Amino acid sequence: MTTAEAGLALPPISPRAARLRAAGVSVLGVLLAFVAGGILVLIAGGNPVPAFRSMFSGSLGSPFAIGELLTQAVPLIIIGLGLALAFRGRVYNIGAEGQLFIGALCGGTILLEVHTSSELLLALSMAAAVVGGTLWGLIVGVLRAYWNVNEVISSLLLNYVAIFVFSYAIRRPLADISAANNLASRTIPDSTRLPSLPHFFVHYGIFIALALVPLVGFASGFTPFGFRVGMLGFNPDAARVAGVDTARLIMWLMAVSGGLAGLAGVIQLVGIEGRLDSGLSQNYGFTAIVVALLGRLRALGVLLAALFIAFLNIGGQAMSVDRGLPFSIVLAIEGVFVLFVLVAGRLSRTS
Amino acid sequence: MNWAQILGIGLFVSGMQLAMPTALAAVGEAFSERAGVLNLGLEGMMLGAALASFAGEYYAHSATVGVLCGVGVGVLIGGLQALLSVYLKTDQVINGIVIVIFVQGITAFSYERLFRTTKVSPEVPSLPHVRIPGLGGIPWLGAVLFNQNVLFYISFVLALSVWVALYRTRFGLWVRAAGESPQAADSVGVSVDFVRTLALLLCGAMAGFGGAVLIVGDINLFGLNVTAGRGWVAIALVIFGRWNPFVVFGGALLFGITDALQLRIQAASGGSNSAIPFEAFQALPYVLALVVMVIATVTARRSAQPSALGIPFRKGVTE
Repeated sequence: MTTAEAGLALPPISPRAARLRAAGVSVLGVLLAFVAGGILVLIAGGNPVPAFRSMFSGSLGSPFAIGELLTQAVPLIIIGLGLALAFRGRVYNIGAEGQLFIGALCGGTILLEVHTSSELLLALSMAAAVVGGTLWGLIVGVLRAYWNVNEVISSLLLNYVAIFVFSYAIRRPLADISAANNLASRTIPDSTRLPSLPHFFVHYGIFIALALVPLVGFASGFTPFGFRVGMLGFNPDAARVAGVDTARLIMWLMAVSGGLAGLAGVIQLVGIEGRLDSGLSQNYGFTAIVVALLGRLRALGVLLAALFIAFLNIGGQAMSVDRGLPFSIVLAIEGVFVLFVLVAGRLSRTS
Repeated sequence: MNWAQILGIGLFVSGMQLAMPTALAAVGEAFSERAGVLNLGLEGMMLGAALASFAGEYYAHSATVGVLCGVGVGVLIGGLQALLSVYLKTDQVINGIVIVIFVQGITAFSYERLFRTTKVSPEVPSLPHVRIPGLGGIPWLGAVLFNQNVLFYISFVLALSVWVALYRTRFGLWVRAAGESPQAADSVGVSVDFVRTLALLLCGAMAGFGGAVLIVGDINLFGLNVTAGRGWVAIALVIFGRWNPFVVFGGALLFGITDALQLRIQAASGGSNSAIPFEAFQALPYVLALVVMVIATVTARRSAQPSALGIPFRKGVTE
């Protein structure tokens, strides 16, 4: 499914005017998201003004609220960065949800079954999670690189497989037998859990996420690797003619995006849950697709989009608790927002 | 384990029922892909239509209204896909993913808005089985094919008419031309954009009907994960069926029987303490869909994929 003619024209080096327009579209999109949110609140039988007030106070009104927002942003940033990079090369990995669970499972198995010093244990589990996510992503990458198997469908189907593998692992080999229902693993050693920032209640995973932003931004914007990814996305045939090993590059992109999703999984484990259960991800693998698209596939954009989506999610929870409004308003806003940015982004390029 | 019982006639009866929603969506997808548009929004079409048909039947107390609502929403989403992929010409992969995300959000909200006040999760009545006179009496075949509910028969007829439309009508010729060689089609005065739009609307109608068959004809209740990846499986089956609606339909029916088989083995093997974990059976349909898609892609001697699949048509631009 190679499309030489890119519909989503990603200018590798966009002129200033185009960047301004793109930023304008995003700002307009944020405004529209609020308008859409107001309308949805009205439809749900609520009053938009107090609804928005609880949204803001619930996500930005106190250090605790800000901590929750940042905590929610951590997996979105980490996964979103990987997906943005892969999408730049038009390698559409939509299997991050499964890669996250496989990563968490690999990291968690180390934490539960290996006994050594806690620092080493933590490092080993993170490495295992990255390897797990990478290999799970590589299944898709190899199939796409060598046999041109559609990666969108294969990665999506593997999500289900990953989640069933995970469910089995926490039900049988890693299960907490004392728990009433066997829907969680045993808890990991306390010494391996990530500490939290004082006052803000956000675990140290936020530093990993923030450190990755410039790293991925640099790799995709200022290195030969990033340039080749852009070429692959713009015109794979031309890239091949120019000497780019496209098969290898496709596998790299699946490996990196899968590995980052795996890392996000283990960070959720050691940062929040403390045990393997389905609460490790609230659909982060899919929401990260929204983040990557809203961030216009740029590292800084991913950071901003992740913060905005985290604001919507945390604010939406507060709104739902305070005002008795359905949380799904937030899901609808995200859907409208991402559709708007796609259409407006397209229109702003032709006019 | 009682294999005679597992492999009995019930396997094929329930297999047909399980297969039909996916089969309908897959046939619709084959049609739109033959026109050159990769519609990855299929899962969204099925999900939106599933809710619409459920709400329609619930409030109007009529299965017919439910089915029509489902088809209507499917067509609407097909129109949205046409707007993005045919007229705005944005990346078709992104369009599909965005449509699924958009529909999931709107569906979650609509479901909560419509049914949040109901205490128990609402249900709609199931359809009666209609035995076709004469044919229903054929041993084995009669029970499997001619003693189902009315939606099942309509599905069969619709799926086969799509095949006829594609290979035996002028419009079908235009569709195949639009997917195979849009420049040539354009040069003889066929509006490629128009043909592709119609193909997407038809795909939406089929996927919408599939969603309605799932709810009105089978499950009779709604949940946000009710489609459970059926739309994605259907896209894999299109590749497996080499873009021929007839083969795609047959493949989807076989797939449904395999799905029924795993459910029956799972049920017979004793739940959570069985030697083979039940998760392995649950994962089986997805693994199988992936495997058949890979095999079909790898073994294709001559690619059956429509040449212009996924490429937006621009007048005067040659590949």
